Amino acid sequence: MPPQDKEIMAQAKQVIEVFHEISSLLNADLDKQTLSICISLIENGVNPEALATVIKELKKDAEETKQHVEQQQNLGRRDSQAEGRR
Amino acid sequence: MSSSSQIKRIERIEQGIQGLVKKLFVKDPSESEEDEDDRKSNAVDFVKQILESRSRGPAVVADANQASDLIKKRLIQTNSSPEKALRFTNLYSRLLSIPAIKEKWAVLYFLYQIGDNHSQSPPILTSPFKSPVKAHRESKSMSYVPSKSPDYASKRPEKPFKEAFAPEGIQKLPAREGGQRDRKEEEQMFAKPPAVQREDVALKAALLAENYVEINPSEATLLRELPFTLQGLSSTNLKFSDDGRTLTLPPTLPVPIVSMFHTLAEPALLYKELSSFVQTAEGGLLGQSLRAAISNELRLYLGLVATLEGQIRRALASLNENEPRGGLGKTGVTLRRCVIWTRDSTAGLRLMSLISEESKSKKGGQLISLIHSFSVCHGDPMVGAFAERLLAHVTRPFYDMLRQWIYDGELSDPHFEFFVSEQDPNAVVEAPDGKSRGGASSVWEDKYKLNEDLVPSIITQDFAQKVFLIGKSLNFIRHGCGDSEWVEEYSKDASKELRYGDTATLEDWIDQAYKTTMTRLIHLMSEKFHLFEHLKALKNYILLGQGDFIALLMESLASNLDRPAGAQYRHTLTAQLEHAIRHSNAQYDSPEVLRRLDARMLQLSHGDIGWDCFTLEYKIDAPVDVVVTEWGNRQYLKVFNFLWRIKRVEFALATTWRKCMTGARGILTGGDKDVDQAWKSTRGVLAEMIHFIGQLQYYILFEVIESSWDELETAVHKEGCTLDDLIGAHTKYLNAITHKGLLGAKKSRNSENSDNTFMVQLGDILIHMLNYRDAVDGLYGWSVADFTVRQGMDFSVRAERREDEDGVLIPTPKTARRGPANLADSTPALDSEAIPDEFPVLLERLQLLGASFKKMVCVLLGDLAYQPDVDMRFLGVVMNFNDVYQPTRRKVRVPTTGRGEQGRSSAKP
Repeated sequence: MPPQDKEIMAQAKQVIEVFHEISSLLNADLDKQTLSICISLIENGVNPEALATVIKELKKDAEETKQHVEQQQNLGRRDSQAEGRR
Repeated sequence: MSSSSQIKRIERIEQGIQGLVKKLFVKDPSESEEDEDDRKSNAVDFVKQILESRSRGPAVVADANQASDLIKKRLIQTNSSPEKALRFTNLYSRLLSIPAIKEKWAVLYFLYQIGDNHSQSPPILTSPFKSPVKAHRESKSMSYVPSKSPDYASKRPEKPFKEAFAPEGIQKLPAREGGQRDRKEEEQMFAKPPAVQREDVALKAALLAENYVEINPSEATLLRELPFTLQGLSSTNLKFSDDGRTLTLPPTLPVPIVSMFHTLAEPALLYKELSSFVQTAEGGLLGQSLRAAISNELRLYLGLVATLEGQIRRALASLNENEPRGGLGKTGVTLRRCVIWTRDSTAGLRLMSLISEESKSKKGGQLISLIHSFSVCHGDPMVGAFAERLLAHVTRPFYDMLRQWIYDGELSDPHFEFFVSEQDPNAVVEAPDGKSRGGASSVWEDKYKLNEDLVPSIITQDFAQKVFLIGKSLNFIRHGCGDSEWVEEYSKDASKELRYGDTATLEDWIDQAYKTTMTRLIHLMSEKFHLFEHLKALKNYILLGQGDFIALLMESLASNLDRPAGAQYRHTLTAQLEHAIRHSNAQYDSPEVLRRLDARMLQLSHGDIGWDCFTLEYKIDAPVDVVVTEWGNRQYLKVFNFLWRIKRVEFALATTWRKCMTGARGILTGGDKDVDQAWKSTRGVLAEMIHFIGQLQYYILFEVIESSWDELETAVHKEGCTLDDLIGAHTKYLNAITHKGLLGAKKSRNSENSDNTFMVQLGDILIHMLNYRDAVDGLYGWSVADFTVRQGMDFSVRAERREDEDGVLIPTPKTARRGPANLADSTPALDSEAIPDEFPVLLERLQLLGASFKKMVCVLLGDLAYQPDVDMRFLGVVMNFNDVYQPTRRKVRVPTTGRGEQGRSSAKP
């Protein structure tokens, strides 16, 4: 790898560090990976506002799915318990 | 950018989206794999769609600083300690130092957007892929469920407020500020609000609702009553005071609402005031047209109010009791909005109210000037445009008047608003300028007056003058010249509708009208009323231009006029005039001219003889007397009288000279030496006088009258000459004659002393000449008597016995009216001692008169030499061409070595 690229990589890392810290300050709840994806998207010209909406949506959706899954699991457990009692 | 990089970019975005979805996707174990994939691709599609739909243009200004500010603000708000904000500032400055990333602000903004995920409960978006049945398309029509937390607002009260003022909020406002807004536009705005706007309104409503404080009476009630208020009508909560000048607000309203109502009350009160102004019937036509224009504008305003009312009704109908503020925010109609919507109209109303106030003290053109000043000088383009619009309506009656004036020559101005006004004929007579004029001249000069105060600023003064002249000329053609047919035809042909707007065309038309009218007027004057012939006749007869006629007249009248003025009879005078005309070239003049020539006596005073009173008159009647005014007539008469006197003196001198010359060959010869010497010097003085008179006549007739006439001719025949020019040229002509002809010019030094005018000086000289002539006649008579006596003595010596026949044989001179001749004649037998007694007295008198004549001429020449006028100086030079006289002035500049007075007579022609 040429030194230049290395430098760029280091800088990118630094940027992500900084942004991550800001996001944690703002309670954005994003891990570094997601953040780097987002940054690259924005760098490529995606509307930040739209992206924010999308992220929120996806997160919410994930939350819901999780809840759903938990419920299902709970139900499943109860079912299995009930079955076990029988 | 090249397409390959574009493709690469899209690819990267694709990858990013995929990664994102994968990252945030939560597996549902209960789902089948296909379902899962399906959901995943669904999510990807959704993400793409949203991103694409908003990819165009950032919603906020791309400014990293602003984004950082926003974040900072939030950090300060959410945390009691500034610690976090400080840290952020550090991070931010570090970030700025890293060049690797371009879209710093975007990322920051993204973080900012996503950041308050937990602290805030934003409007919840219904997710389209929550229920897969729903089509993606519907994803756009998001609905919001406002936060239900009751304590939220109290906890963070400023936040939504700040939110509303965020750049986003300001950015998304429809760009309607500035410029004139149509009602149509307004309707359009109501009819199809763009989706973005609706979202925005909804968002703001949600934010506002969070911070909503219940007011009493409720906003809905106030909104319902607002249209009435805007129309100036009282309603339950909003009452106008009895005099309609104040609006009473319910005391329960909070301050911000009150301030909004202050803004809303302004158009209402203005409307009330203006509508009452429109009802008034004062003011002239322009005032009424102003009222009409204002009421038109008020109608537009009412239209706006009606639209507003419709909107309010619709909004109130869709109210939902369960939502905060009754869900008013969502409908998009709030008090604040109403304030915004009525803002432009308020400005218009304000302007109209100002105009209506000002108009009370103004009328006619001033009113137009007032509005015009708004449209031209006001800095606000909106006010300018508004005033311009108003002006188009208001000026209509003005242009109607203008049209009537410049195409018909009629003034239809019942309220005295036009800048031309008809004068009261009685007022004219009492005008202080002293010279009252009668007949047509007052039609031209005094019938109409240009009132400069009332010339509106849309018309320049030059232009107003032109317009004034056009109308005046037309009026004059119609009434003064009796050519109304032409005027009617012209108005039919040329009449055009004049309107406020393109000034250039208007000017063109008026110029054209000006030219046509003036040409016609001049044509009428010269062709129909023979103006130029009259002028020529005046010059020929009154200014003695027609020499043969004048000579004949004088000859035939001479014996008549020697008698006292009381013995002059008009019929003899006219008979002689007729005779003079018949026997001179004047007979070839047109009868139109000759008919006007008349001879009459001026007012007699005691002791006058016919010469003093006789005058020739040239009668001028309407409409030519516009040019040759009464004043002009008087000037002509003055000149005539002066010239007539000169002529008379010349005539008398000539007669005496003739007598002397014939006498010199006969009866005057053979006297003694003294008598011969006396006759010689007398002849010398006589020749001097004749020379003087000749030069004076030459000067007046040729240097003054002819040259002025030449100027008049060129001025009159110039292209584009107007009647006013004509009058001006003629006045100038007369002035030149009276001034240069020594009649008006005063000696510059002591001009306050009226004794020193040239007129008086010349008059004295002329009287001296006449006296001298009388004295010469006396001398002649004496000589004749002397001759008779001598002859008688011869006879008595030769034939004493036939002495009784002596008296019969002697020819008695009849020209010697008085004096010793008659005396001697009547007493032929008188002894010769009496006759020599007479001679020294006569001689002394002649010498005295001759000397004083010379002195006076010298004084006159001295005065002439210092005249500013070249022609008058020239007269002095001509009279004294061989330096005979020594012009006496207080300081004699050139002490010429005067020749002997004896040699003078030989120098004279």
